[in-house]
Amino acid sequence: MKIDFKLNGKPTSIDVDPAMPLLWVVRDELKLTATKFGCGMAMCGACTLHIDGEAVRSCSVPVETIAGKNIITLEGLSDSEANLHPIQQAWMEEQVPQCGYCQSGFMMAAAKLIKENPNPTDDDIINGITNICRCGTHPRIIKAIKRAAEINNQNH
Amino acid sequence: MSTEKKSFSRRKFLQRGAIVLGGSVVASYLGCSPMRRFTAQKVESMDLPASISSLKPDFWFEILADNTILLKSPKIEMGQGVWTGLAMMAAEELEVSLDKIKVEHANTGSGLIDNVNTGGSSSTSSLYEPVREVAATMREMLKAAAAKQWNVDISAVKTENGTLSSSGKKATYGEIATSTKEWDEPKTPTLKPKSAFKIIGKVVKRVDLKPKVMGTAKYTLDSELPDMLYAVLVKSPYLDATIKSVDSNEATKSVGVVKIVREGNLLAVVAKSFYAADSAAKKVVVEWNTPNKTQQTDLIKLVTVGNGKEANIQKEGSAKSILKDNKTEVFRQEYRTPMATHAQMEVNGAIAHVEANKVLIITGSQGPSQVRDVVAKAIDIKKDNIDVHTPLLGGGFGRKAAPGLAAEAAIISKLVGKPIKVYNSRQHEFQNGVYRPNTHHVLQAKMTKDGTIEAITHDQATPDMYVRNMVGEIGLKLLGSDFLSAGHGASLMYNVPNKSVSVWNTDVPIPISIWRAVGMFPNTFAIESFINELAHKAGKDAIDFRLDMLTDKDDKIIERSRKVLETLIEKSGWKTPKADGVGRGIAIGNDRKSIAAAAIEVEIKEGKIKVKKVTNVLDMGQIINPEGIKAQIEGCVMMGISATLYEELTVKDGQIEQAYFSQYPLATLADVPEIQSFLLEGDDVPYGVGEPPLAPIAPAIFGAVLNLTGKALRSLPLRLS
Repeated sequence: MKIDFKLNGKPTSIDVDPAMPLLWVVRDELKLTATKFGCGMAMCGACTLHIDGEAVRSCSVPVETIAGKNIITLEGLSDSEANLHPIQQAWMEEQVPQCGYCQSGFMMAAAKLIKENPNPTDDDIINGITNICRCGTHPRIIKAIKRAAEINNQNH
Repeated sequence: MSTEKKSFSRRKFLQRGAIVLGGSVVASYLGCSPMRRFTAQKVESMDLPASISSLKPDFWFEILADNTILLKSPKIEMGQGVWTGLAMMAAEELEVSLDKIKVEHANTGSGLIDNVNTGGSSSTSSLYEPVREVAATMREMLKAAAAKQWNVDISAVKTENGTLSSSGKKATYGEIATSTKEWDEPKTPTLKPKSAFKIIGKVVKRVDLKPKVMGTAKYTLDSELPDMLYAVLVKSPYLDATIKSVDSNEATKSVGVVKIVREGNLLAVVAKSFYAADSAAKKVVVEWNTPNKTQQTDLIKLVTVGNGKEANIQKEGSAKSILKDNKTEVFRQEYRTPMATHAQMEVNGAIAHVEANKVLIITGSQGPSQVRDVVAKAIDIKKDNIDVHTPLLGGGFGRKAAPGLAAEAAIISKLVGKPIKVYNSRQHEFQNGVYRPNTHHVLQAKMTKDGTIEAITHDQATPDMYVRNMVGEIGLKLLGSDFLSAGHGASLMYNVPNKSVSVWNTDVPIPISIWRAVGMFPNTFAIESFINELAHKAGKDAIDFRLDMLTDKDDKIIERSRKVLETLIEKSGWKTPKADGVGRGIAIGNDRKSIAAAAIEVEIKEGKIKVKKVTNVLDMGQIINPEGIKAQIEGCVMMGISATLYEELTVKDGQIEQAYFSQYPLATLADVPEIQSFLLEGDDVPYGVGEPPLAPIAPAIFGAVLNLTGKALRSLPLRLS
């Protein structure tokens, strides 16, 4: 089935099994690998990306449901390395990643969070993001989200 | 400076040259090859401190034409920051800024192989001298070459930020490296004194930070080869299952399927995409023989002190007879830790391309040379024909010290004749993995009337974790017990006149391996929880109680441990009044000369233990990367909380019961306590940081709960009811 959508701002067309999860379309068919496979059951959040501005776990989204929609992956979060998204700036400042594998998902979830809530409290962050990290970067993730909110507010 | 001219044999040059030329990046820097050879030989000739194996870790540098320096790391980056530490050490002696060093993993086909796995928190410490020596030698060679070209004395050549200069003349390292044909090789150069360090010990950004923030960092699953096919393995959720029958008729008809492969108990669907292979794999109908019928109660029974083979690993005075003669005065407690899994975020995976006499493997492993050996055996090919490349690891924690899926990928690639990518599902990762074993500990002590320990014993029951893997069955028999990995940390660090420690080894019908901190985790939980109980019983302050047993002034470890505890008292506010509803606990551990201690505050919220504040003091000797060390401490705190409060793997009817994250909860953002970390440099060489801070977390939480509730929860995970 042919499906048209926008990927990181670019009109994209793909002809695959309509039931194929978006994660595999993005990774294997369109070769954007920042979005990670962690569990395939929407439990860990490593595959989080944005569909029409919503943070979604792409391993459990059949590609047929995204026709005409706007998909943003980490590769499309900022327009250039010189102009990083506040979340990425804060992630650099706080040196959040260790192994880095879960970080794309966390950053995508966090970008959505600060867009909706410009001044998140610890509780907002804890309740808003349920992704899994095994290296234990959690303390820095919380710090970085608050810092990103600050950067975001300064920019506006 | 004295120098000697080295002539390299043509044969050796060709051997190394040929291997080095395999990579395109390398090929264009032929001009630097004598230096590359030199570093290789230098490393080969050095007496390096390597753990257990006498084989040496290797690494080398290359100067690239854009004046960056490529450091081929023999140690694997799995998040612990080893690339950054090594790059800092190299940059320090090379007189370049950190951003001039580019780090990559060495591949086994480079001819320089690290036979010691990345683990045991030993990477930075084992390479502290070699990396700096080679880097300093390179710097001196570049200076000598520049001096010759410019016809000045070497002492007149200065190095700064990758540039050589002398009386108006200037050239980059890259320029001198490419224009020099014959190199003068200095004898061992003098290393910078600590006082001259400009990079070591300073706050820097980790070298792999940007790719990880931009999403461009490449892991195994992100790697590809031309014309590659995907394989999905069909596995039984039962341990040791073998195939009785397979019906793959439906699967074969599935879209995109290329082949269904079966070799022995290896069953895989090969298809044009992962999705196609995965969809078809669900249609394969398999009947399994499931001979393993293990129940949780069997494991508990097997792993019990008194069962299996005893190896006495520490004996001072006559602890056992004192306990025997004073039975009524003996305080005896038992502790248990559960089976656990690594749950690293990146599942195991591998890419293999098997050709007639050449095998390429791409896999995220803590032991690429072991991967090579396993593949050689699996498809019966010479080791020299196998080249293992290691992308970044999405977490290791010991899970990727096991072979992973390289052998499976190679077998399938050989059968299909194409490059194959294969990876585990999360369910495979949970149910077909290797596990931290359950352990049992009996601690006994006799205290004097004034509340000091007169005699103490620790008996640990544990399956072998890694010794069999390292030195084989015979090695395990010779040692009597696995006290090197599973029994690591079983010994008692305190100055008690009478002490005795035994490790009881039992085999269990479960695949066992190492898990972050290895034996330190269960042993420190048992020992330090017991010490907390003894202090509680004696009515003494838990830190003072320990300080009173750290008395040997001639023992540097004891002195450093005292300092760690004294710092912890001050920094954690240990002796200040605590808020209502808060309990405080403490624990300390000596993990291969890294001394880590934690003071923890807990409260009970809605009937559950909540860790409120963790103060860490770590004396890991020379600080290389302070920010990296703090990140490792934070990681250990979170993994420690997770393992202490939540994690437990169980077996039923020969099947690991937890198959998904939902059945094996981990610590989350909601568990983040206030964390403070303080670093002490009690020695002038670096020790490990990736594991030592983990061990004290569980017993410190135990102590805090005891302090708050009076309850001694002697089994992990800690549950109030």
